[in-house]
This record gives sequence, C-alpha cells and structure tokens, in this order.
Amino acid sequence: MRADTEDYFLHPRPGSAAARAADFGTDLTLTLANLRLSPEQRIRKLESFIEGIARLKTSLRLIGPTNASAKQHN
Amino acid sequence: MPALSNIIEAPLRLLGEYKVDCVIVGGVAAAIHGSLILTNDLDVCYARHATNLDRLAEALRSVRARLRNAPEGLPFVLDAETLKRGLNFTFTTDVGDLDLLGEVLGVGHYEDVLAGSVTVDLFGFRFPVIDIGSLIVAKRAAGRPKDLIALPELEAIQEAQALENRTES
Repeated sequence: MRADTEDYFLHPRPGSAAARAADFGTDLTLTLANLRLSPEQRIRKLESFIEGIARLKTSLRLIGPTNASAKQHN
Repeated sequence: MPALSNIIEAPLRLLGEYKVDCVIVGGVAAAIHGSLILTNDLDVCYARHATNLDRLAEALRSVRARLRNAPEGLPFVLDAETLKRGLNFTFTTDVGDLDLLGEVLGVGHYEDVLAGSVTVDLFGFRFPVIDIGSLIVAKRAAGRPKDLIALPELEAIQEAQALENRTES
C-alpha cells in the first residue's frame, strides 16, 4: 500500500470523497485495512464474517430485558 | 444448506470451471474493490449468446439450482431456452446463492458492463469485475437505501484509485 493512499484515508483532505465518507460515518481505518488485502483475501474475509454472524445467530438465546441491578457474570 | 465458509468462492469456482462469460457485479464487486459492504450472494451479469447459455445451464444443473422463493413444485426447466426467455434470475444452489443479471441498471447489458470492467485473478480463475466507476453508476441507478448507503465509501475508494493512477502515469 502506497504512503499517499494511506494518508488519503487516514488524514482526509477537506472536500475529498474520503472526508465526505468519514462525515457519513464510514470508518475509513477499516476500509484501509481491507485495501491492504488482495481481492481474494477480501472475499475470504467477507465469507468469514458471514459465517461468524450465522454462528452467532444459531448460538444466541434471548434471556429477556437486562436487570440493571443484577450482575452480568454470576 | 451450502457451507458458509465458501459461499462466494464456490459459486465463483463453478462459473470459472464451466467457462461462463460473466462480469462480477453487486456487493461482491464492491468487496473486491475494498468496500466493507456486506453481502451473502454473488451477482453476475452474464453474456446471452447461445454457447454461454448452454454452459450456464449446465453449470446451474450441476449444483441443483432452483429459483429462490419460488413456490414448491413450480415447473421450471433449467436449460438454455429458459434462460433465453428470461433476463434476470435469482437462484439458490447447493454451493450458495447466485443472481444472474441480463442487464445492470444504469450500465447496460453484458457487453456494456464488460467494457467498463477490470480483470482479477480469483481462486485460480480470471474474472472481469465491474470497475468502481460503473459500480457507482449502477448503485446510484438502483437507488435503494442499501445501494445509496454504500456510495460514500465507494466514492472514497474511487478517488484513492484515481490518485494512484494519476501519480503512476
């Protein structure tokens, strides 16, 4: 990754598309981390994330509203 | 249910193995360009010449492709003739979901999309991927909230790519 590309995302110039994305709420440090990967690695990362979300969905169990006075770990 | 660990890789390998002429578009194309956009199906814009429709139908049959969300028992013959009669198809297959687009909104048919594409090596195959400028045009034309929300990041990636190209030339 070239230094000026890193700089583009880490220190967006006012008026740039990166600055608009940052204002929109995009975390450009994550985008930059993704850009450091090869296209194939980006797809594998996406698949891994999809798999993780699916695992989370199958493992979670809704207990109910959290009682603020109760301890989280008993 | 297909293995989620290669829900995008496996359909891509399928298209590569059957030598289907197509361009990767949609969320996977955005991810290839570096976007953090989330998607769990593969969208491709496919060539509609007879040989390609034959290859495509054969590839789809090999993974027991069926229309997504179609009523159970709906008669559907998966062959080149059926693909020729339709344009856009959404399939569930044994290896993952695959959407076939005969046309990309705002960009055009396969030949138009191919003209604005870049080539990438993926999983041992060479694929054209819609270039970021055309992808932005397509997302803007689609105009759904999920497309529009992707635009600021894609435009930043586009500007970074332009910056790199400018300083290289």
